[in-house]
Amino acid sequence: MSAVSVTNLRKSYGSVRAVSDVSFAVEQGEVFALLGPNGAGKTTTIEILEGFRDADSGGVDVLGVDPASRRTQRWLRSQMGIVLQELAVEPFLSVRQVLTRNAGYYPNPRPVGEVLDMVGLSGKAGARVKTLSGGQQRRLDVGLGIVGQPGLLFLDEPTTGLDPAGRRATWELIRQLGSEGTTVILTSHYMDEVEALAGRVAVMAGGQIVASGTPDAIGGRDAGLVTIRFRLPADVPASDLPVAGQQVNGGEIEISTEDELAVLHALTGWALDRKVAVSGLTVRRVTLEDIYLSLTRGSDEDKRQETRR
Amino acid sequence: MTSSRLASSAQTQPAPSGPARARPLADLRLVARQVRYEQLTFWLNPVGAVFTVGFSLVFLILLGAIAGSSRVNFLGHIKLIQYYVPGFVAYGVMSACFNTLTMVLVNRRETGLLKRLRLSPLPTWALLGAIFVSTLLVAFVQVIIMVAVGRLAFGVELPSNMGAFVLAVVVGGISFTAMGAAMSTVIPNQDAAGPVTSIVFFILLFLSGLWFPIQPGSGLAKFSAYFPIRHFITAVFAPFDSVKGVSPWAWHDLLVIGIWGVAGCVIAVWRFNWSPRRN
Repeated sequence: MSAVSVTNLRKSYGSVRAVSDVSFAVEQGEVFALLGPNGAGKTTTIEILEGFRDADSGGVDVLGVDPASRRTQRWLRSQMGIVLQELAVEPFLSVRQVLTRNAGYYPNPRPVGEVLDMVGLSGKAGARVKTLSGGQQRRLDVGLGIVGQPGLLFLDEPTTGLDPAGRRATWELIRQLGSEGTTVILTSHYMDEVEALAGRVAVMAGGQIVASGTPDAIGGRDAGLVTIRFRLPADVPASDLPVAGQQVNGGEIEISTEDELAVLHALTGWALDRKVAVSGLTVRRVTLEDIYLSLTRGSDEDKRQETRR
Repeated sequence: MTSSRLASSAQTQPAPSGPARARPLADLRLVARQVRYEQLTFWLNPVGAVFTVGFSLVFLILLGAIAGSSRVNFLGHIKLIQYYVPGFVAYGVMSACFNTLTMVLVNRRETGLLKRLRLSPLPTWALLGAIFVSTLLVAFVQVIIMVAVGRLAFGVELPSNMGAFVLAVVVGGISFTAMGAAMSTVIPNQDAAGPVTSIVFFILLFLSGLWFPIQPGSGLAKFSAYFPIRHFITAVFAPFDSVKGVSPWAWHDLLVIGIWGVAGCVIAVWRFNWSPRRN
């Protein structure tokens, strides 16, 4: 059974169509990433899943119930953990007080000490929230999201504002939750984060899903061209190469190919035979960011505002 | 990650099939617990605690010390302090229920705290109920402090009709809480919350005669009669029985306050917003 399924979801604010005809499903225990530029409809979609907004039309099923249903809303909220984009933590309570307070809202909370460990704030348990650094507050925010032992966790840009160590620690935490069977719906602007965590990705633009798949195959990424770059010694002209290459900025040679194995074989064999000192060799598959940018090109905020007028 | 591990940690419990069972006792405990955390949040915030409670105390003591023993001719020739004590009881209630509550609600809305709690399993009514109960508790603390300071420092007698006094404080507390909630809905952001609320509040306080009693029948009295503050001061003043012949039960004043309270309720319910306004 899918943890979350959405079919033909639509939502407008006045004459602005925020979400038009979106369908996707997230399986139990999956880490699913929703990407898209600001204003693509991600937050609206997630807010509908959370039961914070009602859809105009379409089917929404979250953990087997309709999130808009009043009857099951309290139960559903006890099964969900939510980390919003904005940092939202009480400034004057201590870290432990805030976690203890929120733990009491859930029928089966995780022990507060365990949450403190998981988010790396054990040493700050007694500190007032306002004395924490921005990154520490963000980690507390994540702690509040998981204190209820949720089966479904929404993370809206969970590592924005964290330092590299804090990001890695949060990634570890998300992986751990995923391996324990927690379903995670993630939004992020960091492509490396999505690649490291998500089993599946959907890219939204202009209120629609424009592509979805695994991070290494989305948008034809697995079938795309591979770029090989290197530098030749000054006395070796590019015309000596066994394969056709293009001279690019700074004297580098670039070869774009779908058959990188054969090209590399020919190139390195030639260089070893001729004792040509090829330097700075890189092989680069099209990145998730390249794919993301090409998928969302033209649907940026400027254009959206034009259509709004 | 093995399948057995997945199976062993199936965390999702089945959805309830029937309507949620009514559990009044558990719900009551939930509210009581939330009130405790609201109180903690209020008293641990030095600005909130000092501004709300400290202000009224300092005002009363300063005014009492400077002008407390002068007499008010048009109020049965009573000492001014006999007017200031009920006045500052009313002020204490209003500052907690109107001024402070407005700022708390705007701050929490704009920082996303309201939205965050709205999305927790804590029911909405329990959250808002706890905020309002907590606000009233702060107001009652203020009332006790003002009456005690009046009695101990200035020798002002306790209200002779306790029933009328408690009624006035309760009606005022609830009504101004509703007005505070309404006020929070018309303030767009945190930066505006303090100044806008204070300007509205202090101008009306001044015109309603908190600092200088207003002669009945004067133009100012007629003007301020449209607003709830003067009525509240009068309703709290009456049970002290300082002026002979004034009934301790100020029904007319309580009615006007109540109408403002109901209007506040309507606006608050109609316009209440959980998300930051800038979105």
